[in-house]
Amino acid sequence: MSTYLFPFTSLVAEQRQLGLVVAVLIGFGFGFVLERAGFGRAQKLVGQFLLSEMTVLKVMFGAVVTAMVGAVVLSGFGLFDLRAVADTSTSPTWLWPMVVGGFVVGMGFVISSYCPGTSVVAMASGKIDGLFTVLGVILGSVAAGELLAIPAVARFNDSSYLGHVYLYDLLGVPPAVVAGAVVLVAVAAFMGAEKLEFIFGGDDLPDSPSRPRRAVFASLVALGAIGLVTIAFPRPTTAAPAGPATISAETLARRLFDEPWTLRVLDVRAKEACFASRVLGSECAPVETLKELALADVAAARDLVVVGEGDLAALPPEVAGYHGKVLVLQQGFQGWKDYALTPPAPLPAGASAAEVEAWKVRAGVAAAMTGVKQAPPPAAPAGGAAPAKRKAGGGGCSG
Amino acid sequence: MTRDPSKFWNPYLAGMALGLVLLSSYVIMGKGLGASGAWFRVGVATVQAVAPGHVQANPALSGVTEAGSPLDDWLVFLMVGVVLGGLVAAYTSGRLGIEVLKGPHISVAGRLAMALAGGALMGLGAKFARGCASGQALTGGALMSSGAWAFMGVFFGGGYALAYFVRRAWR
Repeated sequence: MSTYLFPFTSLVAEQRQLGLVVAVLIGFGFGFVLERAGFGRAQKLVGQFLLSEMTVLKVMFGAVVTAMVGAVVLSGFGLFDLRAVADTSTSPTWLWPMVVGGFVVGMGFVISSYCPGTSVVAMASGKIDGLFTVLGVILGSVAAGELLAIPAVARFNDSSYLGHVYLYDLLGVPPAVVAGAVVLVAVAAFMGAEKLEFIFGGDDLPDSPSRPRRAVFASLVALGAIGLVTIAFPRPTTAAPAGPATISAETLARRLFDEPWTLRVLDVRAKEACFASRVLGSECAPVETLKELALADVAAARDLVVVGEGDLAALPPEVAGYHGKVLVLQQGFQGWKDYALTPPAPLPAGASAAEVEAWKVRAGVAAAMTGVKQAPPPAAPAGGAAPAKRKAGGGGCSG
Repeated sequence: MTRDPSKFWNPYLAGMALGLVLLSSYVIMGKGLGASGAWFRVGVATVQAVAPGHVQANPALSGVTEAGSPLDDWLVFLMVGVVLGGLVAAYTSGRLGIEVLKGPHISVAGRLAMALAGGALMGLGAKFARGCASGQALTGGALMSSGAWAFMGVFFGGGYALAYFVRRAWR
């Protein structure tokens, strides 16, 4: 994993307790700012939709743009891995469920005048309607969980899966260009919002002094510009590997025998192929079911080995979210079959000690994996080869 | 600081502050903010306390019990912080007080029914949308996730589509 400002394995293993304390602190900041922005008050929130005030737009869009240019600038200076963090923090896209769900959330927002986050702040400040909204959110989400037990609903929920798609991938431009454009759109939207408030707000118009506004606009535009400048910087090349790290069939076989507890082997081929024959101890996890394994959230103690049909050009996004080491089996299952499930051809006489050693390991692996005994290796050449280490002891794992 | 319940932060400065909270969450934790997920977990924990077998039988519910308790999760601890932060901010601003916020022409029962119904719709929708205004619009939007921007569009679309019908509740 990359060496950036902070490791984002903060929620696994021994760092978990500290990570959860940080969660409470960040949540405190979140709740405090929401309350001070006025988001604990239904009237301020619903005003956005009645066009009487545009606070929601200003705060939400302002927050999005600030975090976006901040992330882009940090990543421009090599302090932050934008894509890696985005892969762990954001959900992949299931387009249609998200469109329909988003529409329903928007309707719920107008009816309750809160969103799931702001209702918590309202509840915390004593507003009974906030408490009822929170109760509604609990009921609604558990009801959705119950509905997902219906196969047709679950099928819709899992449909139109696009993985992690970012705007800069869609547009084919560097992230800083997207962020710069969003800054300009935001400033234009803010100025439009001021106009709308002037028209619809009437006498209730909250006085909005222009000085802080100008300062915020100027800082956002400046940050956006800095982000654009960083495009010209040489990347702090993290030795950008051309493709994922790999493991050879031989190394995998040795590790499966010597230290199987350090590995988790995922077979991402089609279910039928995997059920028919697979690497010893591997899980059948066809690509479309990978997200159920929640690899981004599980402990990263074991190395993940991914087995495809042949070589994998790129990791599936769900696997890339794993916090630990990810290795791709060279030549995939085909390579494994050739190495571990096929007995080696007999060695010619006069093979070197190293060749004999490799042959023994391979014959042992094939024997253990297939249950077929091999012919004994040829006699070691004269010259005192070191006694071959016993690597592949196959105890009861044949088949 | 003097307590003035009608005084709020300048929305642009509040937006920047919220953005910095979000950014620090990315940088320190490699995670974003979210709200609806935490309440789903609270709901599953409640169901589990009443009928544990029922949760085990439904993978959509048992999916959040991987760490043992559904409550042992980043989002739940984040929500504990939100409650504390909201409480402290409301107390120090003089806005802390038991009341029902409603428009002049709606009964208390009517307002609470709307709050409950709207909340339920949001809980339902957020499950399919994989997040709410915090988890999708803020967190995903700032990291330029295409799905999050699609979510934002329909979220505001859904709101404005209904706004005309609910404005009587507030005016």
